[in-house]
Amino acid sequence: MARRVVCRAADVPENGLKEVEIEGGLKLLVANAGGEFFGFQATCPHQDVPLCEGVFDGSTLTCHMHLWQWDVRTGAPLGLAEAPLQKYSLAVEGDSLYLAGAATALDVGEIFNGIASATLDELAGLARSETFPPGTVLYRPGDAAEDFFVLDAGRVEFLVGRGERTTPGGFMLKKGEVFGWAALLDGYPARIASARCLEESRLLRINGKAALGVLERDPAAGFIVMRRLAALIARYLASSGAQ
Amino acid sequence: MRIQVNARNRGYEFEARPDERVLHAGLRAGIALPYECATGTCGTCKATLVGGTVADGWAGAPGKKLVKPERREFLMCQCAASADLTLEVDKFVHAAEAGACTPDSCSVVLRAPRQIAPDVMAFSVQLEQPRDFDAGQFVLLAPLAMTGYRAYSMCNFERGARRLDFVVKRKPDGGFSEWLFGANREGERLSMFGPLGSATFDPMLAKNVLCIAGGSGIAGMMSILARAWRERYFERWRGWVFFGVRTMRDTFFLDELSSFQREFPERVQITVALSDEDVPASAARDWPALGFERGLVHEVTERVMTGKYHDVRAYVAGPPPCVDAAIRVLLLKAKLTTNNIRYDKYS
Ligand SMILES: Cc1cc2nc3c(=O)[nH]c(=O)nc-3n(C[C@H](O)[C@H](O)[C@H](O)COP(=O)(O)OP(=O)(O)OC[C@H]3O[C@@H](n4cnc5c(N)ncnc54)[C@H](O)[C@@H]3O)c2cc1C
Ligand code: FES
Ligand code: FES
Repeated sequence: MARRVVCRAADVPENGLKEVEIEGGLKLLVANAGGEFFGFQATCPHQDVPLCEGVFDGSTLTCHMHLWQWDVRTGAPLGLAEAPLQKYSLAVEGDSLYLAGAATALDVGEIFNGIASATLDELAGLARSETFPPGTVLYRPGDAAEDFFVLDAGRVEFLVGRGERTTPGGFMLKKGEVFGWAALLDGYPARIASARCLEESRLLRINGKAALGVLERDPAAGFIVMRRLAALIARYLASSGAQ
Repeated sequence: MRIQVNARNRGYEFEARPDERVLHAGLRAGIALPYECATGTCGTCKATLVGGTVADGWAGAPGKKLVKPERREFLMCQCAASADLTLEVDKFVHAAEAGACTPDSCSVVLRAPRQIAPDVMAFSVQLEQPRDFDAGQFVLLAPLAMTGYRAYSMCNFERGARRLDFVVKRKPDGGFSEWLFGANREGERLSMFGPLGSATFDPMLAKNVLCIAGGSGIAGMMSILARAWRERYFERWRGWVFFGVRTMRDTFFLDELSSFQREFPERVQITVALSDEDVPASAARDWPALGFERGLVHEVTERVMTGKYHDVRAYVAGPPPCVDAAIRVLLLKAKLTTNNIRYDKYS
């Protein structure tokens, strides 16, 4: 496919933002961070607000509506943000920017994004992309937690409890979100919830032990992933015990 | 009516009264459903209907520009359940923080309406039962004859309050403001829901406090100052207040602000920003405890605050463009983290 022109580099002011619509109708936000260019989804993942109206200091991007923030180098959520930004790699050639490709679900995700690309490639090598019809039960309480999943497209629902006495345990919407992460924890081998596809869903399935093996060989990445995982678990725990 | 909310982290179930807005029912049950204006303008309370039907209280709500009806999205602050509901909220939703004041509805009586500037009216409401609220919070008010709640921030602070004080800026053709300015409303009944809002101050904060108010945005700041005064907060911490108005004629509360300043002369600095006229010579003479500067309130804040942002929590309130401009200064110049920027957009 012919490479798609995004805009001229000079159109994006230094430490500034610009929204562009490229051939094919895709809208992108281009950020100029001290002469380096980064491409993102044009609207806030919270509520379709244009991110070009946001506040950008050259490294952190803030949506002005509810102050969600992202690291402009990775699209990783900071502060209040509950979701990462979909990132698009841009290539500079001459005075123009080109779209070099969209990030994979793994790269977008809140757990893996920003780790060394060789490690990310290894993890991607472990991932099997699978598509499930609506209604598929991916796992049930008590099942062995061998694999974790990254949502690429679709919707998954979680139920806590068994049989009649189930309560919804939340749902998952954003591309790149990880679930079934018990597979990444030692000595925590069984599922405590059930996961079911509400729509046709495309998932990356990754074996937890194999992923831990990759992360052991790159402890810097392993540390980032474990810290993010701890933050994620803390966020879910913050609300348990309520009701 | 039973309402089931599935959020990104977990699910909740609660009961709604007949005709009660979904948002109110959830907040009353101690579930921190997302909202900001609570009055149909911002879109923050958007949810997706999975099962059941809702009755929309305000078909023309401006907050609907973010809502896609074809995806069965609706505003929880405007819609009531007309059957048992299942809905999804695409956010992390937690239980209300321990110690937060749980909102509820009640009927109140309007007292002592009085004009305090050409376009500003102050009034109080009298409560039958004492109520707790946090400094910086607001309530929703609706005269019985009017459809739709309006949000107003309390100016006073008291635990177990039986009286809440407000100021309202006149909005040409505005339903509530014309009602209030149009006749003497002493003794009128209103329905109220609250308290609401998270731009709150608690002395446990232990930080310097920066208040930036555009016009009637000063309301919540008065409540914050009242609480800080009561607890002698400014004996340890610094406070700055910036109050933006067009001209000297539009100012109000300058006596009260002067008293605050005189109580803590070393640590509290209060500046009135005049956007549409040069500072008259009489200002400094009439209000020696206050500073006066020409400019928009965010510009004046930026000028005066340079180099003073250490260990600061900022509160911002007023018209949305004013709040957005101030937030820009707080992020780019003050380099505050977002948990230290609390705001109410008077949209
Ligand atoms: C958090 C917050 C705090 C606020 N605090 C203050 C304050 O302390 N002082 C102050 O002067 N202003 C405050 N405001 C603004 C205030 O709520 C009103 O918007 C303003 O007073 C104008 O009201 P109005 O009725 O005169 O104008 P209108 O234009 O008639 O109405 C304004 C608002 O009322 C609601 N409304 C109107 N029609 C309907 C309808 N049919 N159904 C449902 N809702 C409807 C909508 O929210 C609309 O935006 C605050 C706003 C917010 C969001
Ligand atoms: S719309 Fe961007 S943070 Fe809410
Ligand atoms: S909270 Fe409902 S529209 Fe603002």
